[in-house]
Formats: sequence, C-alpha cells, structure tokens
Amino acid sequence: PRPDVHPLPPGTHLLFAQSGRIEHVPLEGYDMKKENAKTVLHLPEKVIIGVAYDCVEKMVYWSEITSPSISRASIQGGEPVAVIRSDLSSPEGIAIDHLGRTMFWTDSMKDHIEVASLDGSHVFMVNPALVTPRAIVTDPANGILYWSDWNREAPKIETSYMDGSNRRVLVKDDLGLPNGLTLDSQSSLLCWADAGTHQVECMNPAQGDRRKVIEGVQYPFGVTSFGRNLYYTDWRRDAVIAVDRYAARESAEFQPQKQTKLYGITTAYAQCPSGQNYCAVN
Amino acid sequence: DATQGTPEDCHPCPCPVGATCALVPKTREVVCTNCPAGTTGKRCELCDDGFFGDPLGQSGPVRTCRVCKCSDNIDPNAVGNCNRETGECLKCIYNTDGFFCDRCREGFYGNALSTDPTHKCKACSCSVFGTVAGASGCSQVTGQCQCLPNVAQRDCSVCEPGFFNIQSSKGCERCNCNPIGSTD
Repeated sequence: PRPDVHPLPPGTHLLFAQSGRIEHVPLEGYDMKKENAKTVLHLPEKVIIGVAYDCVEKMVYWSEITSPSISRASIQGGEPVAVIRSDLSSPEGIAIDHLGRTMFWTDSMKDHIEVASLDGSHVFMVNPALVTPRAIVTDPANGILYWSDWNREAPKIETSYMDGSNRRVLVKDDLGLPNGLTLDSQSSLLCWADAGTHQVECMNPAQGDRRKVIEGVQYPFGVTSFGRNLYYTDWRRDAVIAVDRYAARESAEFQPQKQTKLYGITTAYAQCPSGQNYCAVN
Repeated sequence: DATQGTPEDCHPCPCPVGATCALVPKTREVVCTNCPAGTTGKRCELCDDGFFGDPLGQSGPVRTCRVCKCSDNIDPNAVGNCNRETGECLKCIYNTDGFFCDRCREGFYGNALSTDPTHKCKACSCSVFGTVAGASGCSQVTGQCQCLPNVAQRDCSVCEPGFFNIQSSKGCERCNCNPIGSTD
C-alpha cells in the first residue's frame, strides 16, 4: 500500500479535508477516537474543499480548486481517480445520492449547482442563479436537495427536488455565513453551522420549526451529523468539534497535528442509511 | 528503505526543518508529510489556500507565503481567493477586476480602491438609445459612455439642448424651431 492511501477499518468514520489531505477519525459510539486518526489520502498539491461519501461502493468523493476537479477513491485503499476534470471553476460542496447513483456539487464561480453520474458522465445544471453557493446535501429517500448560499447581501438556505423543480427558500432570516449544512436522515433534521451568526441551528424542513443548538462557535466551515452529535470544522480553531444536539453543548474537540484550515467534513457510515429511492416508490 | 543493509539506506528528508517525510513505494517518490505552517506540497514548496509566494524559491528568489493581496476586494469567507504562487486575484468582489482587484470590471466605473464599498465600482448603465451601437463599456474613471452625435450626459440618456428624438438610436436631430416664434 502507498503511505498516502490508507485503507479504513470497518465502522463509522468522520472524513474531513485539510489542505491537500483527507483525514479520518474513527467514531466509537459518538466519540471521536482521536488517537486512531489518520490520513486517508495525501494529495499535497491540491486544495480540497468538499468531501462526500458513497456508502454503497465505499468511496470518498472530493472537490478540489487548484486544478478544478472532482475525484474519488475507495476508502478500502484505492488510487484517486478524477471523474470530472473540465468545465469546473470553483467546485465547493459535494453530495452523493447513493440511491440514484448521482452526485451534486456547488460551483462558487459558475454560481450554480450541477449533477452528474458518479462516474462523471451526464453532467447537467440543476439550479442556476446562485451568488456564493457552498454546502449541499441530499435527501435520497425523498429526492430532495438542500444547499446554502452565503451571499453577504442575502444569505439563504434553499431546497428543490433533485431535478431542480419546486425550488424555494427555506431560511433567509437571521443568517450570516451559512458555510456548513447537514441532514440527519434518522431525525430528518437539517442543521447548519453559521460563521456569521456564530451559531449552529437545526430545523425540520417539513415542519419549519427552527431551533438553536449552540451559540458562540468561532468560524465553522463544514458540518456533518451522526446520531445525537454534530461535528463541524472550524477555521479559527483548526479543529473538528463535536456538539451534542440533545445537551446543546460542545462535547469534544479534535485538533490535527498540522495547524491549517479544515474544510468539508462528512460521515462515512458503516452501512447505508435505510431508505428506498423515491423513484422506486412512484 | 531501511532493509537493504547499506549505509545509504536512510536519507534525511528533503523537506524544511521540522517536516517529516514518507516514501511512496510504487513511485519511490519522497513526499513531505508535515510541512511548516502556511506551506504545503510534496516538498513544502507551495503556499496554503489564501496565501501566495514561492517558499523554496523554485522560480526565482524565495518569497515567503503571504496573505492574498487583493486591494480589500476579496471576501475572507471565500476559498481560492488568489493563485498560490503568483498571487493573481481570482475572486474579486464589488465589481472589481484585475491582477490585484485594483480596477473596475468591464461595464463598471469608479475607484476600485475606495475604502467605501458603495463608492467602488458602479454599473455604466449606458442608455440603449443614446450610445454607440455595440459599446457596452464606459470610461473606467469618469463613467462616460460613448454617445451618439448630439447626445449628452454621462450615460448618453438625453439630447443636447436644441436637439430631439433620442429614440431614433442614430443620435439627436436639430429642433429647427423658428428663432422668432420660440422661447429660449
């Protein structure tokens, strides 16, 4: 095996980007096993922003902005392969629909959202006219997308179906810089980390009830959920911070040895969340 | 490779002080794994995102990594604000453009270096009737659009005194009023 490609042991992990690497921290229950944290992939010339995980083929996908591209590699130890290499300007957030076998990403220079098959074929634009889109998440069971746009004049969190139809604004009041977004499939809670209001908040998109989880966070970039916890990366603390949603407090911190900005974060589940493709139902 | 049994088995890392390195077996390439703060790359030769320079002096004199220099016309919440080697600004805001976001982008005018964002770059908004066909821009500094004959104002929106019919899109025509029967 290459020293820059480390296969992951079974179990659930956090995967996050730090400059030219994708790091992982195993989870034991909801606790980060910091002493077992390791670099999964080392791509020293890249600046990796978004990270997503396909639980079916156990692949990590990432977006990279120095030679704008989207790539993937098996977390069981495989070579990185670029799946999209052209027509990207500044790809940031990336999300996988593991049921539909597609991926979605935001591009902060082309200012829209695109979708493609996981092998990089069949690229389509789904949501145009964004300003500074960043995070994106999928709800594969319901065929829904959520994304954040940190536009300083009018930050918002929006939603649409995966084909771009039924687009509407979900949150626009009391937002600052909603850099991170995550959907917990079990609780159906959409949560965001805001570097402008310095808060982490959640809501049930169907009911619209919005509640604060924690205040006084420093500079969140990415956020992901697993069970009762949220985990976010922070640009000031150069760390991954665990937040207990129920207790509404910070429960742990993991600071990698190298102190530089952390970007996207995702949960690599041991198994895919249960759920049927909405297309299979209809 | 420490298993060959020769004095040359282990070499010092070709990395700056404090960095560690690893050998990629397949390619036998040495990669630094723990570059000093602000630097990255196989040999710690690159700057982190948001910084630019040439920390090892690979293409000229050594330039330590510095924060992107973009005339305060970038957003610190953005990623990839400048080219990590040359420093060329890539994400100018407030309708600015240029290597250092130091001028207005095409179709805008004003002072890109003004400290007040509202005074930076404004849209030319040239009149569709009074402007020379195909001229979308205006003077970078004054904002003057390229007016058709006998058309006035910065945005070429009105006829000069004594002229009419800006809607013709060919310039304004003389009024031809009788000087005896007309006022002013």
